[in-house]
Amino acid sequence: MTQNANKLYHLDKLENFMSNDQAAVKNMVGLFLQTTPELLASINKGFQEKDAALLTKSAHTLKPTLDIFGIDAMYDPIRKIEKAGKENTMNAETEQLIDQLNQILDKVFADLRAKFDL
Amino acid sequence: MDAFRIFIVEDDLLYGEMLRHHLSLNPDNEVHLFRNGNECLKNLYRSPAMVSLDYSLPDMSGLEVMRQIKKEYSDIPVIIVSGQEDVSTAVALLREGAYDYFVKDDDVKDRLWNVIKKIRENLQLRSEISYLKEEIGRKYEFRNVIKGNSPSIKQIFGLIEKSIKTNISVSITGETGTGKELVAKAIHYNSARAKKPFVAVNVSAIPRDLIESEMFGHEKGSFTGAITRKIGKFEQASGGTIFLDEVAEMDHNMQSKLLRVLQERELTRVGGNDLIKIDVRLIVATNRNLAEEVQKGNFREDLYYRLLGLPIELPPLRYRGNDIILLAKYFMDEFCHENKMPKLSITEAAQQKLMQYAFPGNVRELRAVIELAAVLTDDEQIDENHISFNSTDSAGNLLMEESTLQEYTLKIIRYYLQKYNNNVLLVAKKLDIGKSTIYRLIKEKQI
Repeated sequence: MTQNANKLYHLDKLENFMSNDQAAVKNMVGLFLQTTPELLASINKGFQEKDAALLTKSAHTLKPTLDIFGIDAMYDPIRKIEKAGKENTMNAETEQLIDQLNQILDKVFADLRAKFDL
Repeated sequence: MDAFRIFIVEDDLLYGEMLRHHLSLNPDNEVHLFRNGNECLKNLYRSPAMVSLDYSLPDMSGLEVMRQIKKEYSDIPVIIVSGQEDVSTAVALLREGAYDYFVKDDDVKDRLWNVIKKIRENLQLRSEISYLKEEIGRKYEFRNVIKGNSPSIKQIFGLIEKSIKTNISVSITGETGTGKELVAKAIHYNSARAKKPFVAVNVSAIPRDLIESEMFGHEKGSFTGAITRKIGKFEQASGGTIFLDEVAEMDHNMQSKLLRVLQERELTRVGGNDLIKIDVRLIVATNRNLAEEVQKGNFREDLYYRLLGLPIELPPLRYRGNDIILLAKYFMDEFCHENKMPKLSITEAAQQKLMQYAFPGNVRELRAVIELAAVLTDDEQIDENHISFNSTDSAGNLLMEESTLQEYTLKIIRYYLQKYNNNVLLVAKKLDIGKSTIYRLIKEKQI
């Protein structure tokens, strides 16, 4: 685990949610790695194609996942992205936030894959 | 208890699996995960104990799913678990009948756990209540309640059966202790209203000033002492039956209010303005002759006709012949069973004594007499010495003995002699008979 990625997320909430059952935690990390890239792709597509509904829905679904995986740096940005979709006010700032989301999540994916050997 | 079936409707696979894992920690829970609203609705026939519903689903909104659930299965608690942090959404969903609303945050699993615990407790209580209600129904299966083979009581069975099939008002008359409330309960618990409340009101036991608020309720502050809103007996009995005992004791003012409520099928709480619709079946009872009370001007004629409905006149026990023995044996067995005593029998002489008595207190009195006898006896038999009557109507009892005039004469003379300390002269004077007659009877050892 790199020092950098360590700050990007923490699994305290997930472990707590899964009552510290490590096998279950690993399962959920597997599901996270399976479902989150799809959601991220939808967010990107929603923004590029100005599909506000798709953007809103995907950001909305991703929101609790980011909370549970302790990706705290994205707490505000994901809400802003969802709001931009909802109010159809997607702009340069939204693009910047989405870029940030892509970068952080890419790092989180890589780190989790390594850590859980997935 | 059967497995507690939980439906989770969640399009986010990760979150759904997390909830499934958490809720499956309790082995009593049987958790099913659905990814969209339609899948959940298709499976409702499996009657889940609760549904945890995500608000935003791919095929329809959580609100639509909830409405559909509520339409078909209004009892299933629906808990909304949503990423929506907007208060107005939550309020709208709660108004539509959601059991609770959670935002997907760190506390959601504990909240869900607690709410499930609450729902389970609630469910358990509900199943206990429905079991008890069935028990009561069985208890009041009217042939179990009202015992007897005499023609007069068989006629009553016929009337009760008729009253069970419809909603007609029933007016029960009969002497004290003949079982008026028992008949009212038997009608209620065997009717279509059995699962709704049976509310009994003894009109004579409520002070005049309070009766209106007791019957129709009152609003907070409507009079001194009305510190909270009170729901009246008519509202309590909603969907069920209200039993007004001793209805003849109602004063004129209350009679006209009751008449209005019965005519309009709606009431206003004391101090209130809202009209409240009522759906209750009315059964009234009195030990007075209502028709006579109407003639005397004590009871409103229009109310009388409204209350009369199907009249059931319960016969006094003394007119029920052998039912006295049948009931005596029943009470004896019941008392022994309740008190874990060996079974008792009753001698021929004791039965004779019971048959000769007038029972002014009717079945209630018979029960008390038998219970006392069961306590008094030292062996497993009740004989005539264990049976003692405490009736106040001794003249009636005397006549019940059906003795000859000669025997009655002797009894009366014996009674007077005892009362006046064997003063023959005084007794002769009181009874207006010759003193020699008394001396002769004493000499003949008849007295």
